[in-house]
Amino acid sequence: GKNEYDLLVIGGGSGGLACAKEAAQFGRKVAVLDYVEPSPRGTTWGLGGTCVNVGCIPKKLMHQAALLGSALKDAQHYGWNISQPVHHTWSVMAQGVQNYVKSLNWGHRVQLQDKKVKYFNIKGSFSDPHTVRGLTKAGKETVVTADNIVIATGGRPKYPMHVAGALEYGITSDDLFWLKESPGKTVVYICLTGVSPDVSLECAGFLTGIGLDTTVMMRSVPLRGFDQAKKNQISFTTQQQMASLVTEHMESYGTKFLKRCFPTKVEKLKNNGLQVTWKNADLDREESDSFHTVMWAVGRAPDTKTLNLETVGVKTNSETGKIIVDASEATSVPHIYAVGDITEGRPELTPTAIAAGKLLAQRLFGQSSELMDYDNVPTTVFTPLEYGCVGLSEEAAVQHHGSDNIEVYHAYYKPLEFTVAERDATQCYMKMVCLREREQRILGLHFIGPNAGEVIQGFALGIKCGATYSQMMKTVGIHPTSAEEVTKLHITKRSGLDATVTGC
Amino acid sequence: VRGYAEFVRTAQSCHGRPIFALFCGDKDAEGRSWCPDCVTAEPIVRKELHNLPDESVFIYCLVGDRAYWKDPNNEFRRNLKLTGVPTLLKYGTPQKLVEEECFKAELVRMLFTED
Repeated sequence: GKNEYDLLVIGGGSGGLACAKEAAQFGRKVAVLDYVEPSPRGTTWGLGGTCVNVGCIPKKLMHQAALLGSALKDAQHYGWNISQPVHHTWSVMAQGVQNYVKSLNWGHRVQLQDKKVKYFNIKGSFSDPHTVRGLTKAGKETVVTADNIVIATGGRPKYPMHVAGALEYGITSDDLFWLKESPGKTVVYICLTGVSPDVSLECAGFLTGIGLDTTVMMRSVPLRGFDQAKKNQISFTTQQQMASLVTEHMESYGTKFLKRCFPTKVEKLKNNGLQVTWKNADLDREESDSFHTVMWAVGRAPDTKTLNLETVGVKTNSETGKIIVDASEATSVPHIYAVGDITEGRPELTPTAIAAGKLLAQRLFGQSSELMDYDNVPTTVFTPLEYGCVGLSEEAAVQHHGSDNIEVYHAYYKPLEFTVAERDATQCYMKMVCLREREQRILGLHFIGPNAGEVIQGFALGIKCGATYSQMMKTVGIHPTSAEEVTKLHITKRSGLDATVTGC
Repeated sequence: VRGYAEFVRTAQSCHGRPIFALFCGDKDAEGRSWCPDCVTAEPIVRKELHNLPDESVFIYCLVGDRAYWKDPNNEFRRNLKLTGVPTLLKYGTPQKLVEEECFKAELVRMLFTED
């Protein structure tokens, strides 16, 4: 018989909703399934996916809360009479953030309803390539059939299962943003192997910024303060260099770091605190301390377990568990597609999921053949000192073109706002990776400093258009800004010269 | 109810129950509101009232005349964060429908029945 819907989207997050709404624009019959399995702690949330509920949005708002705290400290230097120390109330911030997130949940509900997209709050699993069945919370079974199915179920934070007490006593980012009371003295454990430390550092960053005693425990170590010779080595890995600068900044602002340590167990104390025991690899001994909250940031795993992918033959990557897709987001099964965090080899970002979802809908129902371009996607890590980038890292450029064919321009700069506030700008840094020949096409731009995201966004367009170093030098800077320093980059790593630039 | 003070009093007296409220511009002697969108929305909302959950309260609130409403500092704008009339909302939650959204029966129904 004929399928009920033209398109069924499993997962109401950034990618899923964008795809569903776009398909509905073409007058198609579309349905969306969204279901949030409560975290082990019991946290749950509404429609919108990770970004809206436990990712980008609450993260950036809490980052902003922390920045405001710093601003209050700076304010005295600018003449404001603010009695120090200034105190922060978690519940006020949390309520504001949580209310805003709930308004976004509602906004999505209204939009879906408005665009005539059918919404089911059920956990779906495949019965066959065109049929998905699910149970409502009340236990009622619903069966949905569709010509095309898009899997966009995203991921959830992992737990370090080998650590005793990890599941029972620790939380993850899923829970942090929904806490009604302050997490208090917190330890965030990061496992850096093969995992980007973004989430963990961002969370530890704002927790410190709002005045909480925060410790970051990391199994391995981001490259430490490097000497002059190393600074100019072109073969440095960008992520290590940037992570090092960002964490140095965090350390100077009060975040404690336990490097080369990994937890062995978490136990509950009589006063409701948590006793964490860990192995200090450097000193080769066991150490322990009590905390109010333990947060795991050891990576995210794709949410595919209950989908029943094996039944329909959708292939996943054996190591990561993510769904394998081709350039058109198609899986190994005809008429089944996947977008967003669930897909193998794609950035775990909201804008790419949204764009991929929209383009997929346009290809399916709108006679388009445009594929998603995953090149030169700009991103930003919202640590207290932000790191934004677009394009290739140094080592990727070297790998691709050879170090003789690459020129790296860099600079340490001081944001004007830091001067009067007597703020340390040691880690404010930028570098531009270019081809060495002729006009020197820009391959990548990396910026550490305030408002990194705002700075990098505009340059992303330049890189997309194939901008060159020559063109950049002809671009007049806006004064006084930090971004203008990009247009003035002239010291190369190769020259070995001091890259500190002075103001005007 | 009429006006902000009466609205707050009534809402407080119903504390503990879900409260839905429709805010409209005042009506003249003939019963016509100065707000044309409110005139359109009211019958549509009233038709969906049977979908209200048990135990819940529906408050129909006249906000004031056009001049009062246009004042950017009026109590409804300031304290309830209303941006336009008609507004249909679930008190104490971010769930609301504003202006043309109130014309759509399915959206009104969704507001009344959703969690």
